[in-house]
Amino acid sequence: MSQPSLHVESLTVSHGAVTALRDVTFTARSGEIIALIGTNGAGKSSLLRAIIGQASSKGDIFLQGDNINQLATEDRIHAGLALVPEGRRVFPGMTVEENLLVGGIRGRAERRLSIDEVYALFPPLADRPSDRAWQLSGGQQQMLAIGRALMARPRIFLLDEPSLGLSPRIARDVAESLKALTEKGAAVVIAEQNSGFVQPIADRTLTLSNGQMALPD
Amino acid sequence: MLAAQLLLNALSLGAAYALVALGFVLVLNATTAVNFAHGESVVAGGFTAVALTFFLPPDLRIPGLILLPGVVVVTAVLGLAIGALAYLPIRNRPPVSVFVTTIAVGMIVANGLNATFGAAPRTAPPLIGVGTIDLIGVSISRQSLAIIATACVLIGGLAIVLQRTQLGRQFRACSQDPEMARAIGIRLTRITLLSFAVGTVFAGAAGLLLAHQFFISPADGAPLILKAYIAVVIGGWGSLRGAALGASLIAVFEVGVAAISSQPLAEGLLYVIVLVVLFLRPQGLFGEPQQVRA
Amino acid sequence: MNPRNSLMIFGGGGLAIYALFFASSYDQRLLTLSGIYVVLVLGYQFIFGHAGALSLAQGAFFGLGAYTSGILGSQYGAEFLVTFPLSVAATVTIAALVSIPVLRLQSHYFALATLALSQLLLLIAINWEPMTGGANGLSGVPPVRILGWQLARGLPLLSFVWIIAGLAMLVSYWQINTARKAAFTVMRETPLATAAFGIDSSMLRFRAFLLSAAFGGAAGALFVHTNRVVSPETLSFGVMITCLTMTVVGGRFGISGAVIGALLLTHLPEWFRGLQEYYLVAVGVLLLATVVFAPNGIEGLLRFGKSSPKPSAGTATDEKSDPADIGSSELIATHLSKRYGGVRALDDVNLRIQPGEIVGVIGPNGAGKTTLANILTGSATSDAGTVTLAGHDITHAPEYQIARLGLTRTFQTPQLPADLSVRDIIRIAQADRPAANTDAVLRNFNLLAVADMPCGTIAHGIRRQVEVCRAVAAEPGALVLDEPGAGLSPEEQGEIGALCRTLAENGLAILLIDHNVAFLKPLVTRMICMESGRIIADGTPEDVLADPRVQDAYFGVTTL
Repeated sequence: MSQPSLHVESLTVSHGAVTALRDVTFTARSGEIIALIGTNGAGKSSLLRAIIGQASSKGDIFLQGDNINQLATEDRIHAGLALVPEGRRVFPGMTVEENLLVGGIRGRAERRLSIDEVYALFPPLADRPSDRAWQLSGGQQQMLAIGRALMARPRIFLLDEPSLGLSPRIARDVAESLKALTEKGAAVVIAEQNSGFVQPIADRTLTLSNGQMALPD
Repeated sequence: MLAAQLLLNALSLGAAYALVALGFVLVLNATTAVNFAHGESVVAGGFTAVALTFFLPPDLRIPGLILLPGVVVVTAVLGLAIGALAYLPIRNRPPVSVFVTTIAVGMIVANGLNATFGAAPRTAPPLIGVGTIDLIGVSISRQSLAIIATACVLIGGLAIVLQRTQLGRQFRACSQDPEMARAIGIRLTRITLLSFAVGTVFAGAAGLLLAHQFFISPADGAPLILKAYIAVVIGGWGSLRGAALGASLIAVFEVGVAAISSQPLAEGLLYVIVLVVLFLRPQGLFGEPQQVRA
Repeated sequence: MNPRNSLMIFGGGGLAIYALFFASSYDQRLLTLSGIYVVLVLGYQFIFGHAGALSLAQGAFFGLGAYTSGILGSQYGAEFLVTFPLSVAATVTIAALVSIPVLRLQSHYFALATLALSQLLLLIAINWEPMTGGANGLSGVPPVRILGWQLARGLPLLSFVWIIAGLAMLVSYWQINTARKAAFTVMRETPLATAAFGIDSSMLRFRAFLLSAAFGGAAGALFVHTNRVVSPETLSFGVMITCLTMTVVGGRFGISGAVIGALLLTHLPEWFRGLQEYYLVAVGVLLLATVVFAPNGIEGLLRFGKSSPKPSAGTATDEKSDPADIGSSELIATHLSKRYGGVRALDDVNLRIQPGEIVGVIGPNGAGKTTLANILTGSATSDAGTVTLAGHDITHAPEYQIARLGLTRTFQTPQLPADLSVRDIIRIAQADRPAANTDAVLRNFNLLAVADMPCGTIAHGIRRQVEVCRAVAAEPGALVLDEPGAGLSPEEQGEIGALCRTLAENGLAILLIDHNVAFLKPLVTRMICMESGRIIADGTPEDVLADPRVQDAYFGVTTL
């Protein structure tokens, strides 16, 4: 069996003096979809942000077997991680097409290929490539944020509340594309309050409550 | 016609000021830091041109434009030094610290130039030669045309890079959401240093453009940074277009008022106006760019 | 006697001996100049150090004082005893006039406005020849004469200047007393919470700006009477840079910092004579290096760290006396609405919290909970609606005043400046109640054990308690708590919960925002659920949590 794609060991995350996450351990293997369930404040976002390197943490994070604790955020992205954050965080002054293009981290040819795939997945984006991101509705921004992360063809795809603002049909399409991603070998971790979105596609479910994992891995 | 000549003066001064203001905003956007050494960067560019002419036979009349690559190289290095020494070590400290470190760098540059060249104003060779061209019956100075043309080329180049290239997109992403930019793999430190380099190059180029007609002396930095600052207050903090527009307005105002009365009065009036603007609208004329979230 | 005080006395004594016995007349001139700069830098410390604002006007104040004395002295023959107070009055007046628009500017615009002002004054000085003597300035300013007795150059003048400097030090010491110093620290390090402490930051900044102007004008007057001429150089940016460098290198806070900075930078040109014209380059390098490596200047490096405070004896007793005089006020909000751009953050919110109630607020992100807290406590203003506290309309009251009137709040992240002790924090919060007993409050909250420890060193759970203690220390009638349990272990949450219950029992009206339903359910007397700016449920915890709208909005499909 190949190395597990992502392994988190005894992770404790603090924001300043607040401990948001205590001693969390789990593994996401290539081809898996992991659902991370919990209410607001349970620590889901803190976990994802720590994996991407945007929150200070203790413990170890392994990517394809390599310890990435010392890697800066940008380098983790180049190593194959991607995060669609809570609140979308699209670049408001840039157009849809620009937002997508800037997400591509490899060459121009690869960018064109990827962008066609994203447009195929999200027709509402294909309809308005020159609109500025701040003009889009919440759901369209969500699509854009997911598409932007897809542009980097990540191996570990982390999503924080991706179903927020998506219509059921688009949500289903997104879920299917995430499944397709895993068929190519990626691992996907989805943090959600809305279990209805993730349950149908998740291979495993982990529950976070008040900063700690309720069900063991 | 006097009016046409005045207008041309204003436009060429405005073009040079626009370069200064654009360079200022580039750094501002990439780092939210006010670079107080920016005025001295203009002076450094002018003096680089002056220094380079020392290496040429004194009788040889060369177009000042030839010196542009040299100015670019020197000011690019200066910009990287400012970014690396005055910004990166303290980027997590409150913004006041960056004010002070860049004031320090400005001191170093201004006094270094003063010690090396003396305080007297110097001039650089004209960009493409002296004299005028006759266009539709009006005598237009070559220097003014050259300034405008050079500035347009540089600004146009910047616009193309920012709008059409991946690097430009990365720049813009960093200025709109630096944390998210890192989270999609953009190397923020590289972009930051590049912003300082390009911003300083623009300032240095403006120095070359201004040095022939307006002379350049080590103490010129302070009024220049003040004008760049005023341009962004007028044009909107962080807006590239606004900064260019604000800079042009300042030039028109300066040339116009100075023609009617005197240079010091023009400058003084400018400062009074900016104080009044800030009094009436503490957030600047156009406020800060809003980020609308649906 | 602590090491720093003995160093100051030793240094001062050494300086006096040097001045009296070893200094040549040139050295005495330098020392006189140093004394003048001490006054200038002490003034700058108020606005740049304590208030933390980058003012670029200090040189202008110096020049303004210089020209006032210069013009009065040279053109009208006025004596020092007349020109000195007039110089100070002139600078303070200009500062007061300018401060109203300028002080409310954000830092980058504040620097610009002060810079523009300085350049404007310089332009006037150079060009208004009849009044100012133009580029050449004015000569013939009389020397310092006190009641007919002329102070000769050398020791008499030197002593006089340093006596004035000494007076300036006393004024500085008096103005920056412990309470005000702590208030400034809060304003600099936790700006969000400044008003919640009941501190009026506008007044603090105004006072600092005026003091800096007064000291600047005084220094300018001294300068002109010792040099006997005034020229546009006194208004040049060079003076500002010198002042800035002295303050940064010497130390932004503290009298010794001003003295060290002034002495050092006045004498450096002598010591660096070899560098000739490159001397100022070296000063620039020094300034840069200081900011990067020693941000608190030399005085900061010399600060022999506070000896670790010993926990007071007789610590964790469970015995609690009656929580002294907690007030009780009813908090009523009606028809509150607020829009940010196109988003409706609050939509016709009505709320009523009675003394003794603990009302919990839950809701998904973006529901408006924080906006509600901000509007109630005054850090944001509503577009419509009213808020009353114990019958008083506080809808448009400034935030610090609301805190003083008796509605306080805590923040999601405890806003406690790292270097202040717990006791300091509580004292600041109690600032306008001088009779209040700090120790009693600390005892009630079981914080006596950590009372003298700096807030940066205490554990998170205790910091949360300190945050609540701070909010309650000024005897409010109502309290807004923002996620007080976040990041705490279940035991610590239990302690916070017990604290809230005791406060409510004593009559406080409490609004408690939190995500953790398990924490809220046993604690609150009533619960509210918000969504998209509206209150969608209001009732007992059981009813609200069972409400299908709440389950849908907050939990998705899962129940709790």
